[in-house]
Amino acid sequence: MNDSDPRTTTPLLEVSDLKTYFRTERGTVKAVDGVSFSLQRGQSLGIVGESGSGKTVLSRSIMGLLGRTNLIREGSIKFNGQELMGLSVKEMRSIWGQEMSMIFQDPMTSLNPVMKIGRQIAEPLMLHLGMNKSEARLTAEKLLTDVRIPEPQRRLNQYPHELSGGMRQRVMIAIALACGPTLLFADEPTTALDVTVQAEILHLINEQRVDRNMSLILVTHNIGVVAGNTDVIAVMYGGKIVEKAPTKTLFSSYKMPYTEALMRSIPKLRQASHTRLATIPGRPPDMVNPPLGCNFAPRCAYARPKCLVEEPGLTVTENPEHVYACFYPVGSPEYHERKLELSQRSDLLSTGGQN
Amino acid sequence: MKFWMQRVAMAILLLLSVSALTFGAMNVLGDPLFNILGPLAGDVNNPKSAALIEEVKAKYDLDKPLPVRYVKWLGDFATGDMGVQFSTDGQPPVSGLIKERIPRTITLLIMAQLLAVMISIPWAAITAARAGKRSDKISTMNSFFLLAMPNFALAILLKYIFSLKLGWFPLTYKAIDPYFERLRQIFLAAVTIALPAAAVYQRLLRTDLITTLQQDFILMARAKGLSRSRVIFRHAIRPSMFSFITVVGLNTGGLIGGSIVVETVFRIPGIGSSLVESVLREDFPVVLAIVILIALAFVIINVLVDILYSIIDPRVRR
Repeated sequence: MNDSDPRTTTPLLEVSDLKTYFRTERGTVKAVDGVSFSLQRGQSLGIVGESGSGKTVLSRSIMGLLGRTNLIREGSIKFNGQELMGLSVKEMRSIWGQEMSMIFQDPMTSLNPVMKIGRQIAEPLMLHLGMNKSEARLTAEKLLTDVRIPEPQRRLNQYPHELSGGMRQRVMIAIALACGPTLLFADEPTTALDVTVQAEILHLINEQRVDRNMSLILVTHNIGVVAGNTDVIAVMYGGKIVEKAPTKTLFSSYKMPYTEALMRSIPKLRQASHTRLATIPGRPPDMVNPPLGCNFAPRCAYARPKCLVEEPGLTVTENPEHVYACFYPVGSPEYHERKLELSQRSDLLSTGGQN
Repeated sequence: MKFWMQRVAMAILLLLSVSALTFGAMNVLGDPLFNILGPLAGDVNNPKSAALIEEVKAKYDLDKPLPVRYVKWLGDFATGDMGVQFSTDGQPPVSGLIKERIPRTITLLIMAQLLAVMISIPWAAITAARAGKRSDKISTMNSFFLLAMPNFALAILLKYIFSLKLGWFPLTYKAIDPYFERLRQIFLAAVTIALPAAAVYQRLLRTDLITTLQQDFILMARAKGLSRSRVIFRHAIRPSMFSFITVVGLNTGGLIGGSIVVETVFRIPGIGSSLVESVLREDFPVVLAIVILIALAFVIINVLVDILYSIIDPRVRR
């Protein structure tokens, strides 16, 4: 997609040092621990990370959709210049659905099973735009056409169970787009869908983003999903952004060993069949007691003693848009040294002549 | 269509077996002859009473074998003739008694169920929205209090407060009063039945609502910017109604049982109080008629419940 042009206007969304903690019986879970980024109008950001990296909590925390009991939320979220932190639920409601909306992961469970599709789309239209029933119905029909659902008029009177998964996700997109939001969150929008439908849905989301000049935050565990669909990618690990770069830059010159591991876990067509999938050993950190140093260090092949005791801050590369949090990034002398050691060791271990 | 045919067939089968069992039990365990004649029934050696016994046997078909009597009773019942009362020399006939008393009980039960449903739905919605908070805990204590309270005690308490002390409702039921006046007379009785029932419905609906409120589509509804009450009443209530409706339906039987006590305390001459009287007098045609009517009510209510299911959830429709 088109690269982001660094505009000098105020960004649509500016998140600074956002922390989102949950009080639990085991202790405080630091699900999002100091995340900052900004997003221009019309720009799209991909947030990538394993499950448990805090990406879903991040998007819901920005939107303010988390339940308020046992929640600690700090930092600043500026949306259109307005500070959202500290707004009451009542004040947020006028933003939800109208300015910001969200496409959820599972279209099978995210639509009300006992309400007709037409009514579910008409609801935000009548609420926020003050439309009457027949206007809302006409608009709903138009929205269904926009998301390319055949026979939109008939669909309005159907229930979600009468539609396929892909169709339901299109309905969800129609609902999210209904009031013309400026910021759209898509939380794993294709995870629950067939592979063949995934590309169509991503294409549709992106096309609507361009048509409507919306900003998009696309949350996914699959780095392949964000590859062609976002301007900027932020890689999350353990509640923090560990690397952020324009999409092309990230794919060509990633710095963080975690990003490297994510890239390697994408199966490639040119690999022989039955090649073992590359996995990242170990599990994401326990966010009640995160590691002292770098969160990824315990699982990192390139970690050194310093990584275990000291936490790396975000370093800016020669490209000011590209930041990463690592002491020994991909390409550094220490990285190459360790890489050499590792390949020698694996040569020793491998018995056959494969490489 | 096939589904409804099955339902009707099952209902008929159910009514037949209930009536056969009750008919058999009352005739085998009790002695109708004794119920009609009293001690005279055993006095076979006295020619005078022997003649009377023969007369009664012929009149009530007691000389015929049980299956024949059952079939005859069934035929009569199907045409609206429910037999004669043993205890009153046959007057008025059972159907007359039932016709006079059943509207009172039906009114009482419908009023009680409506009250229970009208109380429990908003009660459940409010407590589910505040689950775990202080108001929810107080409500839980209240509902357990209502459940633990025997209904005759609740009846007396309500009667004492609202009839005797406050004088809002009349103390007794008068069959000759105009319809709306009689509704006022049975209101307290309906409340007595409704409150514990509402407590049960509330517990159930609250739990289901809490489960529904965790669903993805509720988060989706919130993300649309809908207010909390809209989210609950437009999105959460309907998918949470299944066990609620099932129990409201099943509980109707329990309420008929409860109405026996309540009708007695409030002196309402309905089906419940005549069931008590007829069981005590072993007046088995009356008992039989009432048992069949209760079974019939069950069948009808469960059909209504099935219809409600399909109204509530489009996925159940066939």
